[in-house]
Amino acid sequence: MKPIITFARWGNYTIAFETLFKKMGLEVIPPEKINSQTILEGAKLSPEMFCFPLKATLGSYLPALKKGANTIFMVQNAGGSCRQRYYGRIQEKVLKEQGWEINFIDFKTTPKDIYSELKKISRVSTWQIFQAARFFLKELHLIERIEKEAQFLRPREVEKRQTDKILDWALLEIDEIDDGRRLLKLKKEILKKLSKIKIDKEKDVLKVGLIGEIYTVCDPTINFEIEKKLGWERIEVHREMDITYHLKKAIFPWKDWIIQRKINPYLKSTVGGHGRDAIYEMLNYVKKDFDGVIQLLPAMCMPEVTVRPILEKIHQESGIPFLSLSLDEQVAEVGIDTRLEAFVDVVKNYHKNI
Amino acid sequence: MKIGIPRALIYWKRPIFWESFFEGLGFDVLLSPNTNKKIVEMGVNASDPETCFSVKVFFGHLLWLDGKCDPIRKSSISNGVNLIFVPRMKANEGKLEYCPKFFALPDLAKIMVKTPILTATFDERKEKFETTLQKLGKKLKRNKKEVKRATETAFLKEKELREKEEKEFFEKIKSEKRKIILISHPYNLQDEYVNLRLEEKLEKLGAEVIFIDEVPNKQLTTYNLQQITTKKQKLSVVSCQLSVNFHWEFGKEIMGKIDELFEISRAKNVQISGAVEISSFPCGCDAVLKEFVEREFKQRKTPFLYLMIDEQTGEAGFQTRLEAFVDTL
Repeated sequence: MKPIITFARWGNYTIAFETLFKKMGLEVIPPEKINSQTILEGAKLSPEMFCFPLKATLGSYLPALKKGANTIFMVQNAGGSCRQRYYGRIQEKVLKEQGWEINFIDFKTTPKDIYSELKKISRVSTWQIFQAARFFLKELHLIERIEKEAQFLRPREVEKRQTDKILDWALLEIDEIDDGRRLLKLKKEILKKLSKIKIDKEKDVLKVGLIGEIYTVCDPTINFEIEKKLGWERIEVHREMDITYHLKKAIFPWKDWIIQRKINPYLKSTVGGHGRDAIYEMLNYVKKDFDGVIQLLPAMCMPEVTVRPILEKIHQESGIPFLSLSLDEQVAEVGIDTRLEAFVDVVKNYHKNI
Repeated sequence: MKIGIPRALIYWKRPIFWESFFEGLGFDVLLSPNTNKKIVEMGVNASDPETCFSVKVFFGHLLWLDGKCDPIRKSSISNGVNLIFVPRMKANEGKLEYCPKFFALPDLAKIMVKTPILTATFDERKEKFETTLQKLGKKLKRNKKEVKRATETAFLKEKELREKEEKEFFEKIKSEKRKIILISHPYNLQDEYVNLRLEEKLEKLGAEVIFIDEVPNKQLTTYNLQQITTKKQKLSVVSCQLSVNFHWEFGKEIMGKIDELFEISRAKNVQISGAVEISSFPCGCDAVLKEFVEREFKQRKTPFLYLMIDEQTGEAGFQTRLEAFVDTL
């Protein structure tokens, strides 16, 4: 059986993952964009009490499976102690119970394991895998770069929604590219276009930090495009959480040690997932005198729920506006919008009162 | 000095150990009472709405102990609690992890109560259980010998309890009644208020209730070792194909005990009529565990009932479902 690959959808980074597999000469059917329909289908199949990303990703496989994909890639221990570890097993079980003939590849996030799994499935030379990985990282870096640029430009742009237009165009262009030289050219072009956006330098822009669980924070379709909405309200969004951050932490352990040292007065142990990072980032934003912090989490996410009382304690001590949004398949966009609007009002008045 | 121990969550992992350890060191121990409505209410009001019910109950016990604390007179004459013991359980002797919610309990407790928290990190990937106890003793200004003696007596008492449980288990399995196995974490099974007196209810319906933690561990069984090893190998090969390798201690323990239970029942030629799993809403670990436990029973064609408990569970609804379940057996 020739492997036709699909994988979990993850925001704008899906493009980079797609080219990683394509570069290795594998046939790929990218997962469907997450919408209410796919979420509903995923939730119908998956265990009721499981956390939201499992349901969302399961829903995003289904259309690809219907198109003929037969191999699914899922990472196994991205979350440390939390139940993300069992995603692969549960999804495999659920899909097989539904009668899908699939090959589920459940790999660990160690470079060695990733390499051996890729080698086994693609049967290409080590050099080609290396090249593909290098290109993947470059593309990932570019996507993250333009996301960051957009976060900066959105609140400052003179002509409204111009940044988003360029961002959408750029993502489409990146999707089509598959060699390094053209990527470099495109990078220059995108950055040139972004730099041509007229911005209002005089304007003092409010700053809000986005913390929480990595999947919900990074995927704009899951979090109802919270970055854009805040940007249009003239608020600059900062977020540290992205794949590069996660990969760096997986490779270099000292980042964890630094985080632990900084948060020692609040929490003396890991709680799995990115629980510690949330506290660290929040303390950082308080120190930098931000105007607010938003925590995003899938409902019942174990690490984030565990640290939430601590975040609330920091919020009480410092007075920084804090909003915690738990997302799941039953949350409606309107509900989130209302809470965001109220939060934006609080943020706008936070520094005025002092 | 008086040390308060909340009778919830981690306490039930080693029911008699902690109080005999601290008593052996010469402290007064105050256990919070059995869970009641007031304690649950206190806990629910104070804790995060999305954490699991068991943690909420734990915070209720913690706040009850905090109410007994005497902040003004901290001398040994005072009657109040001076310290509350909340250990940070990270990994057990098999290098398997506890639930991630346990990791942060002392820190969350510190935010919640005024009484000083006594804590120690039990991580047997890094150091032995006894070594951590020595460190804990040092914090309480007791010397090595005293700690060692207290540990030993505590272990002995715990062993007695386990032996008694095992004896009961073998008596229960011999009985004529329909046998129903209850599967859950010890803090759900042992706490009668939390599980809405499930044991009593099932017994009234004419069933013999076996708790999963009464089932002996594999190494404790009194069978012919030779026989078990061959069977175990066979079973482990099968279960490797089917189930996951849990990194959680309870996951591995429960799966192992289910295997063991069926092995014993086969050897003694008795039948397990049904299984009931209870989990507290919204327990993240049980969401994973349930899938595999359920499959284990389905393969053996044993009826399986899954019940969820939280602060709003009504007794009437529980009763109806149990009656219907017992009728199907």
